[in-house]
Amino acid sequence: MPTISPNAVVEAAAELADDVVVGPFSYVGPHVRIAAGCRIANNVTLTGRTTLGARSRIFPLAVIGAAPPGAAGDGECILGEANAVREHVTIHAGLDRPTRIGNHNLLMIASTIGPGAVVGNQGIFDNCSSIGAGAAVEDYVRMSGFAAVAPSVRVGAYSFVAGYVLVERDAPPYAMLQGFPVRVRGVNTRNLKACGFGEDDIHALKAAFRELFNGDGAAAGEALARLDATAELNPCVRRLVDAVCAAARHAEGAP
Amino acid sequence: MSDVTMLREIDPAAKIAPDAAIGPFCVIGPAATIGPGTVLDRRVTVLGHTTIGSGNRIGEGCVLGAEPQDLKYAGGRTFLIIGHNNVLGREVTIHLGTESGGYLTHVGSDNTLCDGCHVAHDCYVDDRVVLGRSVLLAGHIRVCTGAAIEDLCGLHHFVTVGRFARVSRRTPVRRDVPPFTVFGGHDDDDTCPPAVRGVHEAGIRAAALRGEEEKELRHALAELFDDEAALQTKIEQLVNMGVEGEAARLCEFCQRSLQGVYGRYRELFRGKAPPEARRHLPPDAAIEPRRPAP
Repeated sequence: MPTISPNAVVEAAAELADDVVVGPFSYVGPHVRIAAGCRIANNVTLTGRTTLGARSRIFPLAVIGAAPPGAAGDGECILGEANAVREHVTIHAGLDRPTRIGNHNLLMIASTIGPGAVVGNQGIFDNCSSIGAGAAVEDYVRMSGFAAVAPSVRVGAYSFVAGYVLVERDAPPYAMLQGFPVRVRGVNTRNLKACGFGEDDIHALKAAFRELFNGDGAAAGEALARLDATAELNPCVRRLVDAVCAAARHAEGAP
Repeated sequence: MSDVTMLREIDPAAKIAPDAAIGPFCVIGPAATIGPGTVLDRRVTVLGHTTIGSGNRIGEGCVLGAEPQDLKYAGGRTFLIIGHNNVLGREVTIHLGTESGGYLTHVGSDNTLCDGCHVAHDCYVDDRVVLGRSVLLAGHIRVCTGAAIEDLCGLHHFVTVGRFARVSRRTPVRRDVPPFTVFGGHDDDDTCPPAVRGVHEAGIRAAALRGEEEKELRHALAELFDDEAALQTKIEQLVNMGVEGEAARLCEFCQRSLQGVYGRYRELFRGKAPPEARRHLPPDAAIEPRRPAP
């Protein structure tokens, strides 16, 4: 039997694993499913068609699965395993496609995830950061305080978004993103080292970044075409080049 | 405790003064202590080893004493101490300390923390400080007496904000802010990066200095921040002149910031307890050796 505070409201149709804990004054809606090992603190709202993976921790006053303002009907929200959702975080439910969050993410205080956004694994989203509707944030991304990702924009894996920055066009993986308007300022070496990348990969990425991004942080078309045509490219550089090509197609209207 | 039928969940082990007022939907944990005359509005959560003094007003939806967001925190017995007569707006969050940062987060007395402020692990906020809306203090920060930080400022780990300084709204602060100065600027404006912008007149008035001391302080401020590239030389000149009082403390502050890392004196305490920790930690705080993460 889950441990539910007598002061919590859990709808009869909600599905809770046996060892789930729900704190006082929290609400769990009828279409919510909570996997084993989850701990829901006090004054939390879980609503919409929301699924929480195992060992998730939801802190006081977080709201997960609320439909975006003005929307009619419920949306869907799918969270993976072992996410920490801190105080006052809001995760909106997606209406036409579910909001998806992977595993082992840390959503710090008052950060916001928009409807239909897709977040990867192992991300850290600092206080008051926000991810717009339909945006995609890949694995191991770190966002600083007040940083924002605009709607429908993609942020590549292992990138770092500095404080107050608005990412308003697709950002490549492995990058440090800083400035106004946002610029690629170099390789996120520290994160790559922490994630176990070798010196040769980091070296190859640094060389590719120097070729690809000029002072404005915009990708240089000529260098991109040359790298793209290179056989036997370092796999990290290949991923970078593919992401930059996809971003260019996205900017021209491709989905 | 006016209305006992009110819906709220207070652990029987919590120590709550008879005339403290706890609003509806509040949750108070077993290790919390709340002093006389403190008023908690609706939906306030007090967790962990948290001590709140007397006469505080805690706004709706505040969460005090939740575990730190620092990944190094290993679940140890750490503390939050809040003094007296503070005013906290809505949805203010203050976290416990961490083992490696000195076990304690400390907020003094007579402070005003506006809506949405966050005071992270191992911060020391002294007295008569004003934090504007959604000011984010990262970990290990010291905000000294009388400082005012305006709306939407984000402060980097290990920053010190000096006495009676002011930080303009929406400034990213990555280095120490000297006392009695106005600090401001933005990353999005190349002509106005975050820097010392002038003298904080209201701060000098609030500190109520003696005439001679004020004159000497104004002279030191003008000398030091006229050309920051020459700061080290200017400090030495002033010290050799034998400045006293606030001017001497200003020189000492700037010297310490220069000794730190990236202009942050408190970086020198990275991974160990800062001097304030010993002074403020409760006498019964049995410091456990750090446990490995589970």
